[in-house]
Amino acid sequence: MKKNLLHAGVFCLLVAGWLSSTLAYAQSDPSGKKRITDTYAITNATVFTAPGQAGVKATVLIKNGLIQGVGTNLTLPKEAKLIAGDSLFIYPGFIDGAGDVGITKPKDPEKPENFVSSNPPDEIAGITPWRSATDQFSLKDSKVDDLRKVGFTIVQIMPDGGMIAGKAAIVLLGSENSTNLLVDNSGLAASFRASRGMYPGTAVGVMAKFREVYDNTKLTSQRSQKYTTVAGLKRPEITPTYSAMEEVVAGKIPVLFSASSELEIRRAISLQKEKGFKLVLTGLEEYEEVLDVIKASGAGVLVKLEIPDDKAIKAQKEDAKDEVKELNARVKKAYDNALAQAGKLEAAGIPFAFTTSGVKSGDIMKAMRTMIANGLSEKAALAALTTNAAAILGINKVAGSIEKGKIANLIMSTDSIFAEDSQIKHVVVDGFVFDYETKAKKKAPKDGEGKGAVKIEGNWDYTSESPAGSGSGVLSIQKDGSNYTGSITYDDPSGSGKASSPIKNVVLDGSTLSFSFNISANEMVITVDVKGEVSEGSYEASMTVGEFGSFPFEGTLNPTLIANK
Amino acid sequence: MKSNMTHATKRRMIISYVRFHVALKSNCKHMKKVNYFLAVLLGLSIQFASAQVKKGSVLIKNATVLTVTKGTLENSDVLVQDGIIKKVGQNLSAPSGVQTIDATGKYVMPGIIDAHSHLGLDVVNEATSPIVAEVRMKDMVNPYEVGIYRALAGGVTISHAMHGSANVIGGQNATLKHRWGSTDPADIIMQDAPRTIKFALGENPTRVHGRGNGIQPRTRMGVEAVLRNGFNEAIQYKKAWSEYNAAASQKNSTALPPVHNERLQVLSDIIDGKIIIHCHSYRADEIYMLINVARDFGITKLVFQHTNEGFKVAPEIAEYTMGASVFADWWAYKMEVYYSTAYNAAILTANGAITSINSDDAELIRHLYHEAAKTQRYGGMTDDQALSMITINPAKQLGIADKVGSIEEGKQADLVIFEGHPLSSYTIPQMTFVDGVKYFDIKEDANDQRLKVSATEMVEPIMIFEGHDSRCMQDTESLFETTEALFNLNH
Amino acid sequence: MQRLNKIFFAFLLALLPMMAMAQIDGEVIKPRAGKFLLKNATVVTITKGVLTNTSVLVEDGKIKEVGANISADGAEVIDCTGKFIYPGMIDGGTKLGLVEINSVAETVDYAEIGNFTPNMQALTTVNPNSVAIPVTRVSGVTTVLAVPSGGLFPGTAALINLNGYTPDQMYAGFKAIVMSFPSSGRRGRFDRRSDDDIKKANEKALKEANELWDNAVSYAAMSANGAELEYYPEMAQLAKATTGELPLLIEVNAASDIQAAIKWVEGKDAKVIFSGVSEGWRVADEIAKAGIPVVTGPIQALPTRDSDRYDTPYANAGKMAKAGVKVAIRTDGQENVRNLPFFAAFAAAYGMGKEEAWKAVTINTAEIFGVADKYGSVEAGKVANLIVADGDPFETRTNIMHVFIDGYRMPLSNRQIRLYQEFLDRSPGLKIN
Repeated sequence: MKKNLLHAGVFCLLVAGWLSSTLAYAQSDPSGKKRITDTYAITNATVFTAPGQAGVKATVLIKNGLIQGVGTNLTLPKEAKLIAGDSLFIYPGFIDGAGDVGITKPKDPEKPENFVSSNPPDEIAGITPWRSATDQFSLKDSKVDDLRKVGFTIVQIMPDGGMIAGKAAIVLLGSENSTNLLVDNSGLAASFRASRGMYPGTAVGVMAKFREVYDNTKLTSQRSQKYTTVAGLKRPEITPTYSAMEEVVAGKIPVLFSASSELEIRRAISLQKEKGFKLVLTGLEEYEEVLDVIKASGAGVLVKLEIPDDKAIKAQKEDAKDEVKELNARVKKAYDNALAQAGKLEAAGIPFAFTTSGVKSGDIMKAMRTMIANGLSEKAALAALTTNAAAILGINKVAGSIEKGKIANLIMSTDSIFAEDSQIKHVVVDGFVFDYETKAKKKAPKDGEGKGAVKIEGNWDYTSESPAGSGSGVLSIQKDGSNYTGSITYDDPSGSGKASSPIKNVVLDGSTLSFSFNISANEMVITVDVKGEVSEGSYEASMTVGEFGSFPFEGTLNPTLIANK
Repeated sequence: MKSNMTHATKRRMIISYVRFHVALKSNCKHMKKVNYFLAVLLGLSIQFASAQVKKGSVLIKNATVLTVTKGTLENSDVLVQDGIIKKVGQNLSAPSGVQTIDATGKYVMPGIIDAHSHLGLDVVNEATSPIVAEVRMKDMVNPYEVGIYRALAGGVTISHAMHGSANVIGGQNATLKHRWGSTDPADIIMQDAPRTIKFALGENPTRVHGRGNGIQPRTRMGVEAVLRNGFNEAIQYKKAWSEYNAAASQKNSTALPPVHNERLQVLSDIIDGKIIIHCHSYRADEIYMLINVARDFGITKLVFQHTNEGFKVAPEIAEYTMGASVFADWWAYKMEVYYSTAYNAAILTANGAITSINSDDAELIRHLYHEAAKTQRYGGMTDDQALSMITINPAKQLGIADKVGSIEEGKQADLVIFEGHPLSSYTIPQMTFVDGVKYFDIKEDANDQRLKVSATEMVEPIMIFEGHDSRCMQDTESLFETTEALFNLNH
Repeated sequence: MQRLNKIFFAFLLALLPMMAMAQIDGEVIKPRAGKFLLKNATVVTITKGVLTNTSVLVEDGKIKEVGANISADGAEVIDCTGKFIYPGMIDGGTKLGLVEINSVAETVDYAEIGNFTPNMQALTTVNPNSVAIPVTRVSGVTTVLAVPSGGLFPGTAALINLNGYTPDQMYAGFKAIVMSFPSSGRRGRFDRRSDDDIKKANEKALKEANELWDNAVSYAAMSANGAELEYYPEMAQLAKATTGELPLLIEVNAASDIQAAIKWVEGKDAKVIFSGVSEGWRVADEIAKAGIPVVTGPIQALPTRDSDRYDTPYANAGKMAKAGVKVAIRTDGQENVRNLPFFAAFAAAYGMGKEEAWKAVTINTAEIFGVADKYGSVEAGKVANLIVADGDPFETRTNIMHVFIDGYRMPLSNRQIRLYQEFLDRSPGLKIN
């Protein structure tokens, strides 16, 4: 199912794009979806053309996917569709520095017969620089619209994979019928993620392997160069890995290194210093201590657009013992520091943008507002979402602000964008207008009511994390009278490939879904209990594996089943 | 412009630079900044990653000074300036601005050195291949680990942060100086210590690879073969590169560079004597085997770790190696150490082998002075012999004996003050200094020493201590299929 | 002291060839019973002060007399001038004899399958020939509690002397049913359960313990009334704990668990002893108030929490003793129970004081186990478990000169010492034949 979708996505990007750009095929559109004009004028709105610019009343004219003008005295062409912007605030569309939206992890290749764990093929060991995020991306993924709904118009999509996952690409979250690829091979996604049970099996091995791949790429280019100029030389061995790494070694594209903690940031920077590649740090979660190190390195910075969970802070009790109070105070301080970090990054004069990898779209604006409340200026916040992101991605000529000639990427909100009650009404991507429902002032919903019954039937793609590594599979749920039945697939613990078990005790209580299943491994039967919350096609749960502990379990209802709307 | 510069101008510039520099030394605080300015001015490049670490000055008065190498000095003083032991003697006075500590009735000894530890490392084992010489523990140093402070509270100033023992040839280790409070890994790495590497013989590598993963070695024969194969390949590798380098320096050379292999490069460095081997070993036969292999490849920089049956081949260890680093009394936790004796250190010492006592354990490292004292019960070691095993002897085995390991003028001022003789079971460490900077003081010991807490921590985890806390086999979990093996990792 | 040490070893080494001549090659020295007069020592009685120039007469396995002028009639006289006599040390919790090599499953006998196995008898599986036993007793530890572990009620512990060829010869007259109180602590780095999981597992375990206990109470009452109940060895054994016939040794460590255990014990007719008690210092007053004695250790341990002071495990025993808790010390060891005196020294140095630390490895342990009439001090009438040393046995530089167990003079040798003797000056040495 998912595979078809994947292909559909690629089709959209490559084939459909080609179709629309070769209008020679001029055909009618019996589906009725073709728009009547590509020219829009949003009139008399409050326009913020770039971070730090005050809002001015103006009209924005877009045509052909580009901003044609911003001003009060524009001549509006007859084919322009007018949108009354009087009550709207217009901002440049947001840019996601590194996102996983719409990305589906490719299937791991089967291990070969003669597999040796100490020397696995690159592809199995997570070294796949030749892979492209475009092959893993689907614009039809429901998460794409979730992110666009928050105002994101451009995303640098990151391939899923191991220590060298592959090439990122910059895409527009535009129409399904357009070519949305802005920059291919925009960077190389790397991380300290190790392979399970094979070399490199830990972060220390990953660092050694990274050096090795880098150095040999360099040598291979040297050899290749000589080979083409001098006759009679031994043919250099060219591998997909070295070929794909060449752009990095030549300094043409940056390494997008995922580094969440201070120590990881230092490690990525130390590799950069040693080897001299262009570096963009991404996924930063904890960085307060290393601001000067980051600044000195000159690396691009993509902060994870998320704030820490406040469950622990809320659980602190006033009447705790003094000893506990002291410890609580330290946790609170750590929490407050975490919220204030982005502000400190700004104060240190480090331009930064955000990454939404691993972030829930619904939490983004709350995270933004919290960072602003804790010291980040609105100007820097907007810059991180627009101009800085464009600069780090190298697309500041074409995106990041509302200027004549730039891509028509706009956000139209009901209030100034970071205001508590501000809602996004339209998002324009590449000249295509997406409308979103806005509600009159939200009222506090009554306990559990107001929402329709939660739908859980269908196929869920899930991922799970455990000390043994990450796993994935398909959870299939059917309705059987008033009960639910189904099955789940998972990585076969006693070998390669997938195994499947029926699921039991499927209970949906409000929006809480729980079920269990048995895994048998090495003559042992382990019961796995899963319980969590379902919300609009996503499932955030905790998986308890026998006595070994609880681990995160996340599912997404397969979008092909809800694509009918 | 450069070429126009006269000789005299150049000289003046150099002289003024030197003067400026000397003047700056007295004003350390601003040095970094001004240095940077100068560097930019003169087009020099200065590595700030290894920026200076803190260095202190202090005068310790009226102590019993256990120099270890120069005897015991009653009622004596130790003067430390800028992190270096300036003078050891009587009636010394403190230069202005230098703090004096009255240590009347107390004992001062050199900072304790643990030649086998896994503290301060985020990853211990890259267990996936029988040889992983290319991995560097320096990449994984974690200065936040509270165990470092706890080691300081036990007088340990230097620990040898080792790769684990899952591989025949493991990764390269890091020698750490316990400068607690710094969050930069580079600050706690002893940058002037030589390179060392972990080897492991016997049951650990044969279990992980042979029995766990179905690749060589599964036997002690296989372990020897892995070693010899590795070294022989390294020799070929080195030859290929020197041939290429020689050819490449010729005009119009058409030579192509060989493939880079850091693993073989490191092995080649071992053969060239650039790296000290620290080898996990238990049984006499395997120890003897490695001695033979080392001799065949002309390797002399070799220290045995654990070495529980070292006493059986003590004459060979003494003759051909840099000695053994052993447990004071650990035994019988696995088959390989069943035929052990707590008299091991005494026998090795009596045979002339350099012998140290180590911890390999986050708990044991807290009282290495007591572990060393056990050699007095098991073998009647003298005070100096016992103290040597946690100071100058491990310093020799780590190649840093010219810098630390005894109280001698000119050495780095790593010092511990004890209440009571450090070899008494009742002794209590009072203060610990690294480079003359006090990092532990029992009187100022604050309750919560964590450098960092999690912002999302609900309740602090409570760990119930269940005996040995060795991490020799940490991070090898994924290599074992059965859950039983998961919870039964023996070091 | 150092000189003494050297002299002693010189003496020992000088003696070796003589012994070889006098004996057949390979003959071993055996424990020897008899009448011994340990003459003219400083006797640290523990219960009756320190007596100088005092002798101790050992006869029929007992301490016959402690005094200044004891007739040597018929006794082998051992001159103890300048030496010290102490009672043999008792380790309040070990696996000694229950395991030989921890990584070799065939030799591991302390944990049986099942959650409810109070009928598993440690005494059955004690291996009198464990190589670790002679290694232990030369340090002056003469008696240990052998404790099974594993499930909720893993078995019945037994106190043994470190001399004898059968478990019954070794048995020192005390047994206790072991309970592992549901623990909110983690078992180590591999234990990655969430806080919630631990809480749930605890609640479940406590519920199970309550059900089992209630059943055992009923079982005991019905049996007392003469009911003929079905064969149920587990329940029959636990019933003995409910009536106080056998004490209940509760392994409990985290502060909140200790509090829960105190509450759990309230109103029950059990004779309760707490063991482990790593976080006892946090709730010492509450333990004292409950009047529950404690066997704590290992003293040389890591703090239970990262935020704790580095010395909390060293200071724990002393803090509980100061609060009024009756404290005994254990090693929780297997092969290295020999470190008991050193653990006691650490406790002494970090607040307990030497006198209290000595009690914690002798008379307190004997009293907690109800065997103080036989063990724990140097007093006439008690079992002759004695050590003679040239100094303070808690110090590593001290030599233990003699060990008596059950009145037997124990050989001061073991495999570790024999290896020393063989390999100190190996022959052939470096030469290759």
